[in-house]
Formats: sequence, structure tokens, C-alpha cells
Amino acid sequence: MQRQENMKRTCLRWLAASSLVLAAMCASAATRPRYGGTLRISSATALNSIDPADAPDSLLRRNLTRLLFETLVIVDDSGTIQPSLADSWNSSLDGQRWQFILRHSLTFSDGSPLTSDVVAASLRKANPAWRVTSQADGITIELETAVSDFPAELSLTRNAIVRRGNKLLGTGPFVVSQWEPLRRLVLTARDDYRDGRAFLDNIDFEMGKPLRDQSIAFDLGQTDVIEITPEQARRAATEGRRVASSSPTELMALLFARDAQSEAEQKLREALALSIDRVLMNRVLLLNDGDAAGSLLPTWMTGYGFVFSADANQVRAKQLRSEAGLARTWTIGYNNEDMLARVVAERIVLNARDAGLNVQTTQSAPGDIRLIRIPLALTNERTEFSELVSAMGLSPIKLSSSNAENAYGVENALLQSRRVIPLLHLRYVVGISANVQGWAIHRDGSWDVQKVWLSGR
Amino acid sequence: MTFRRKLMGVFVLTVVLSVATVAGVVSLVVRRSFDKADDDRTAALVAQFRREFDRRGKEVNHSIETIAASDAATRIALAINQNITDYGAYLNDAKATADSHRLDFLEFADDQGTIISSAQWPAKFGYKESFFPAVAGSNTSAFLKQEDLPDGVALGVFALRANTVGDKPLYVIGGKQLDKDFLASIELPTGMRTMLYQNLGNTFSAKNLIDPSGSAQSPEQLAGLIKQVQQQAKESVTVIHWSSSSDDDEVVRAIPLTGIDQKLLGILLVGNSRRAYVELGRHIRSAAFLALGAGIVLAVIFSSWAAARVTRPVEQLADAAREVADGNWSAQAPVTSSDELGELAASFNQMTHELLDQKERLVQTERVAAWRELARRLAHELKNPLFPLQLTVENLLRARQQSPEQFEEIFKESSATLLAEISNLKTIIGRFSEFSKMPQPQWQKLDLNEIVRNVGRLFQAQLHAPEQSAIECKLELAGDLFPIAADPDLLHRALSNLVLNAMDAMPQGGTLILRTSRQGGNARIEVSDTGKGLTPEECERLFTPYYTSKAHGTGLGLAIVQSVINDHGGRISVRSEPGHGTTFVIELPGNMEKVSAATH
Repeated sequence: MQRQENMKRTCLRWLAASSLVLAAMCASAATRPRYGGTLRISSATALNSIDPADAPDSLLRRNLTRLLFETLVIVDDSGTIQPSLADSWNSSLDGQRWQFILRHSLTFSDGSPLTSDVVAASLRKANPAWRVTSQADGITIELETAVSDFPAELSLTRNAIVRRGNKLLGTGPFVVSQWEPLRRLVLTARDDYRDGRAFLDNIDFEMGKPLRDQSIAFDLGQTDVIEITPEQARRAATEGRRVASSSPTELMALLFARDAQSEAEQKLREALALSIDRVLMNRVLLLNDGDAAGSLLPTWMTGYGFVFSADANQVRAKQLRSEAGLARTWTIGYNNEDMLARVVAERIVLNARDAGLNVQTTQSAPGDIRLIRIPLALTNERTEFSELVSAMGLSPIKLSSSNAENAYGVENALLQSRRVIPLLHLRYVVGISANVQGWAIHRDGSWDVQKVWLSGR
Repeated sequence: MTFRRKLMGVFVLTVVLSVATVAGVVSLVVRRSFDKADDDRTAALVAQFRREFDRRGKEVNHSIETIAASDAATRIALAINQNITDYGAYLNDAKATADSHRLDFLEFADDQGTIISSAQWPAKFGYKESFFPAVAGSNTSAFLKQEDLPDGVALGVFALRANTVGDKPLYVIGGKQLDKDFLASIELPTGMRTMLYQNLGNTFSAKNLIDPSGSAQSPEQLAGLIKQVQQQAKESVTVIHWSSSSDDDEVVRAIPLTGIDQKLLGILLVGNSRRAYVELGRHIRSAAFLALGAGIVLAVIFSSWAAARVTRPVEQLADAAREVADGNWSAQAPVTSSDELGELAASFNQMTHELLDQKERLVQTERVAAWRELARRLAHELKNPLFPLQLTVENLLRARQQSPEQFEEIFKESSATLLAEISNLKTIIGRFSEFSKMPQPQWQKLDLNEIVRNVGRLFQAQLHAPEQSAIECKLELAGDLFPIAADPDLLHRALSNLVLNAMDAMPQGGTLILRTSRQGGNARIEVSDTGKGLTPEECERLFTPYYTSKAHGTGLGLAIVQSVINDHGGRISVRSEPGHGTTFVIELPGNMEKVSAATH
């Protein structure tokens, strides 16, 4: 009886052990990356060119550029400049002459070598103001003014290295296999990529797809990655969708079409800025998933953003309004397809009305004020301000370095000009299907597709 | 205008007036009928609008009731009662719920009226519902309300319901817009249309006026009517002339639409085209004109026949009267009927018969009178020479018996006297003979002035005879006198008689004027003297044969003159006043056809 009992126990132990081993084996098979498959990504943005130097800048363009092309350096999530195509770099003492040494044995997707001449030509195309010369092992860039943290600028999308011939060639992990401008782009993984082949065989971009259609296709399993608007991110998460979001990296702001023409107009603009309840907007519209913006650059990036208050002050706004005297009606133009922009614009109209200001929304005309959304580059403050004023069409600013004091001065001057009123900092959010594994999104909203693989559908 | 034409005119006028009166009455009746039909149709349309409004109100009520009882509303109501003030999670609920219930407006508001979620203005979260205190307690039927929107103000049918899962109710306020789709949903009779004016103030704004197609055409034309309703807040009606053509006229009735607080929120405009009425009026006019034309033609024909029938006896009577006037006293008017005209014709015939009898009697009387006058004149004329003849013969006889020695001498003297008186008798007899044997004129073309000159020349010596007072003769002859056809001898004799009369009338001398002139188509001769003149009675009898105002006249001179002038187709008259002389006026026609007739 005792023996029978022992045998029974032994059998049970064997059964348990076998089950554990089998379970461990199954678990290992489910989490282990595997090659193959096509990742289907939908985007509302539509590009008619994949040249990194072409405008306008967008998150889609940035991510595509990272897949096809590479820059000399990159900025990691901590803001540190890391080598990429360039192995090392140094500058002259005055900070006007920079030399970059290229890595050895780099090739374009067609197998041709990456030469310093191609790199110099690519940078000259994107930056006509630079004097770029090539040497045997690298290039030299001579600037008109001294810039202490110049390499960060080379991490910008437009400075990706491109060999421009009959077709665009890059050194990135993927190569274009199908290209229908404004509609579709199919990328194929390079087997000979310097950091190893990506797990994915292909990435299929469907461009210009409305958000609603993206959501439907996602639910029907017809796409793997979709864009989710910031105002829908929290709801998507509560509905059980798998979402990934960046840090607040997109600036939503009001941009006046021209500089203030008088002190009274300055007061009116300040009254408008003070009347807007950004905090409530962030809380209700974004469910606190963004940031109420008192500054142009997010606080997490600059560290001084909190100095610029995002709180509304209707009392002060009304006072300024009364001091300004007569005021004409302002019109706010916005992208009609952007639902968040529409609600924000209408909310601004209500807030402004409370302060005694006459503001109307318009879709047919540019308007006196434009509600803009600008993706921030998140390299360093100097580069960011430079890109920002360029995107807003303002006069270039002079900022030789990215220390916080200089950056604060520049930002303060920009805000005091009353040409731009920051509203919100938004996150870049994507919805990811369950079979997409290893998906990572950087703080600036860019993807790290190199590590993505697909489990069985 | 003849009696027949007058009668025809009266007939035609009667027909025209009758047709016009009938057309006018028909038009008036049609117009009143149309006005009544317009009123009925408009009333029906307004009733239909109200039914549609009520139907929508019921739909809205039902939808809002359903929403208020839904899980979504209950979830929000629970959040309110749990004092959760972060309404971001419900921001899009109103929009999604409104879309699913096909509502244009939907808002969720807490117990204080704070908007939690708004479908029509999502950005309005946190704001107070403006009309909330007024309707929060009236949880009844649908009502009209103006709703603020980001791009303006809209008019809608609203309903309000509360979800009371806890102490604090959740208010659900929603509705449907009264827009062009609402107007399009109202089934309209042909020729009618509806428009809606959204009243946003006391002034007219064209953009606030819509019709089923969207913005109304030419809204300014309706501004006056809309302003009238804005000022008086009561129904008003007017006729709008959309163009110069009356076909486009439209009767527009404006009906005020008020909200809960009786504030004028909108104006329903019901247009009723007058095209059908105008076309019917045109048809009536056309028919009236056609009837009028036909009536006129028929009236002319009928009135011609009737007038002829009526006027023929009158015309025959007139012809008969004209014949009588022309001297045919035996003219008779036919008696064709036994009516008044027949009696008139019979009376006329009787009258002419009696006139004829009277004339014959008068002629007889005149003839007797003439013979008596002739006898008296003959007796008088013959008695004058006979008496000296008698005396002379008696003197001869007495001389033969008493003084034979002187008989020879007396015989010679008496013979001379006898011869003179016998000559005188012959002269008298000759004149009578001449008067009885007036010759017919021998027509020839002559110059009247020349005749007058010859007469004047003939009497020149006598006028200036030393034994009598001098008479000055003046010739005033017209230069433009045309030649006439006349007998120069007879005319010369007639003028000579008149000159002799004038000379007799001026024993103390004076002025004789012979004047010719042109009087229309006639030649005119005037013989004037400055004698003692004639009385009116003398003037009347002057041309009567054997009448004379002179002591030694036969009374045939002027009768001869008148006879000559009559034979020439002319006319003689006398103009005289006592003490102012006498003027004889002769008017002679051209008579040139007599010359050609005589030639042929």
C-alpha cells in the first residue's frame, strides 16, 4: 500500500515536472523574437516625397527617415549625442569648424560604399549655408558663427545622409521596395545592415488614411499600428487597446499672422493668452495626458518651463482688455480635419469671450491667428528653437549654445513678443496590435523598429 | 350724328358696359374666392407646420427621455452624485449619443446647469447653460429655443429631461434644428412655400432667412414684413412683388414663433404664389375681351338691324319732311306700323295734307289778292292817264260848243295832251307786258365788275344832272372776283333798276356805292344809298309785285330784279334802317356749268 502510494507520488512528480518543462518550453517559444512578416502601419499623414530634406517635417517623415537613412550622430532619450555614421568628431577652439570622422566599411542599400564626398554633398543640399568639405576619412563643416553643441543639429531628419541619383539611397536598415506617393510605401529589410538584419521582412505604410478608417481597420485586424489622437489616447487605453506614447513632444500653440502693431494690441494678445484655461483643456480634453503649456519647449526638456505660467487669469485678462480700448474681431484658423484643434479653437473662443475679446473660428481663411501643431525635434534647446521659429515662419534667432540661461532668454523674448501663445504639449500615441512584439517608442515619438517582430496572428 | 348711329352707339355701349360689368363682378368673385382659398391653404399649411413641429417635439421628447434613461446618462449622473468634477471622460458622450439618436443638439448638464458634455459645441464644457433656470423645473413638452453655436445661433425644437439616480439630477437637453431640412419636410401644395427667419435682434439680417433650398432668394424684399412682425409680434401678411411681372407676385404671411419666455425667436413665412390667380384673372379678362369683341360685333349687327328697323320710319318721315321743306307739299311718309312711329307718320301725312290744302287755299287767296292788287294798280295806273284823257276830251267837246274859234288851238293842245297820256298808257301797259314776259337767261361767261362798271357809267350823266342834287357814285370792286355765268342784259337791267331806286331814294343827293366782293363760292354785289332808308315792314314787302313806296312807281322794278336774280340761282336781300340808307345785297353763284351746258 505504501509502495503503491510512493509510485503514485513518483508518477505525479514526473507528470508535474514534465508539465513544467513543457510550459517553460512553450513560454520560451512565445517570447523569443523571430524573423519574418510584414508590419502594417497606417498613418493619416501622406508624403509625396521620402527625401529627408523635403518639407514639411512630421513624425512620419522622421520615422521613415530613420528606417531608410541615417544621420552622422543621434541623440538618445537622455539627450546625449551618440555616434551613428560618424565615428568621432572634434571642433576648432572657436567652435566654427567641425570635423567628423566616418565609420569604415559603411555601404548604401545598393552595396555602394558610403564616401565622405556623398556625405558632404548630402549635407550641402540640406544646409546651403554650411561650407562642407570632404576629406579621405570624413568631412569638415565650417559655420558662420560659433556653435558649441553643433553635432546635435546633425541628428535632425533633414541632415540624414542621402545619395541622390536616379533614386534615393540610404544606409538605414530598410530599403524601399514599393513607393506610391501620398498612398503607400513598402520597405524591405536589408540583410547586410551594419547592425544586423531587422526581424521584420517588410514594413507596409498606408498613408493618408483617416483616423476613423484606421481604427476600423485595426479592429478588423487589417493593420498592426495606427495613430491615435492625443484626446483619444486615454479612452483607447481604458477600452483595452495597447497603446504606446511618447513624452509630450508636440507643441500646440496660437500663432499670430503678424507682429503686434501697437501697445494696445500687445495688451489684447496678452489678455487672450491669460484668458485661455489650458489646465482645464488638458484635464478635460486630454484627460491630463498632455501638458498645459506656458512655454514653447516642454519642461521635461528644458527644466525651466514652469517659470512660464499656464494658468488662466480672467481678472487680469479683463483688465488688459479694458485698458486696450477698442478691439477688432480676431479669427482663428485651424485644420478642420483635426478634431482636437477644432475643440481647442472653440474653447479659446469661449474663454476669450469671457474676457471681453471677440474671437471667431474660421475654416475658409487663414485667419488672424493660426492654431498650429509643431512636432518638436528634441535634440537640444538651441536646435529646437531654431527649428521652431523656422516652422512658425518667424525670424531666425541667435543662440550660440544650449545652456538653460540662454534658452530661457530666447524663449522669454519669443513669448513677450506676443506673436505666439503656447497652449498644450501633446504626446505622440500609437495603437499596437497584440501580435506586434518588441515595439518601443522614444521620447521624441520615433520608433525603434529594429527590434520589432511579429508573433503568430 | 344720325339717329341711327346714336341708337347703335347706345346699343354697343350697353353691351360693352354689360360685359365689363359681368367681367368685373366675376373677377371680384374670383378674387374673393382666391383670397379665401389662400387663407384656407395658409391656415392648413400653418396647421401642418404646427403638426410637424409637434411631431418633431414628440420625437425629441422621446429621444431625450430615452437618453436620460440610458446607461450613459446614468453613468454621468452617478459621477455627479459622487462629486466627480473631472468630466473629461464624458466629453464626447453627448456627441456620440446625439449622433446615435439623430439629434442636432444634446447637452448633459449637472444640477447647477454646468455643461458636462455638449454635442453642438464640445468646447463648452464647464460653462453654464444660459437658459437653465427658466426651464429646469418645467419638465414637460418640447419648446422652441435659440442655441448658441461656434459659428452663430441656431433655432431648434428642444426638450429637457432629468436623470435622478441620486440627489443631484443630471439634465439632458437636446433637440433638432429648425433648418432647411425641416422646411423641406413640410409637404406643400403647389404654389406654396415656407421660409424661416431666425430672429436674433430687432433688425433685419438677410442671412437669417432660409428656405428649403438654403439661403432664401432676394431676402431684402421680405425685410419690411419681418420688421413689422418684429415690432408688433403678431401675424402679418403682405403681397411681395418679386418682379415687374404680376405673375411673380406672392402673398406672404408671417407668423411669429416664440419661445418659453414668449420672446420672439423666429418668424415662419408662408408664401402663396398668385400666379394661378393672375393667370385666371388673365383668362377672365381674355374671355371678357373676347365676349366684348363678339358682343360689339353682334351689337353692331343687331343694333344696325334694330336701329334700321326703328329709324327707317323716322328717316322716311325725315325725308318726307325734307321734301316738304323743299316745296313738295304732297310728300307722304309711308305708314309701316301701328306703333307710335306709325301714328307719327300718319299724323305727318295728315299734316302735309292739311298744309297742302291750306297752301292751295293760301295760293288761291294770294292769287285773288294779287289780282285785286293788280286790278287796284291797273285801275290806279290807268286812272291817272284816263282822267286827263277824259278832261281833255271833255275840254275839246266844251271848246267846240262854247269857243269854236279857239277850238283849233285847243284841239292842238288837247291832241298833244291826249297823245302824251296815251303814250303814258302804253308805257304802263308795256311794263306790265314786260313783267309778264321775263325772258330766260342767256348764259355766258362774264366779268361782274365789268357789268357794274357799265351800269355806273350808264347813269353817270343822270347822277350829275343839273336839275337835281348831285349824287356821288363810288365803285368798290373786288380784285379777286372770279368770272361767273350769267345773262349780261338781264343782270344789267336788274342793276339798273336798283340804281334807279337808289337815285329815287336820294332826292337831296347823296352817295351811291356799287360794291362787288367774293363770298365763298358766290359773287356778291351790293348797291348802297344814303337815302332815308326803309322801315322793317317796307323791307318785308319790298319785293312783292306791284308794291311800291314811291308815289309814281309801278311796284314792278324790284319784282323784276328779284325775278332776274332768282333765274340766276342767286339771292337778293335788303338791309336798311330808317335814316341810314338802304343796301341791296345780291349773291350769285358761279354757274359755270350753265355755260358749258349752253355750249353743248
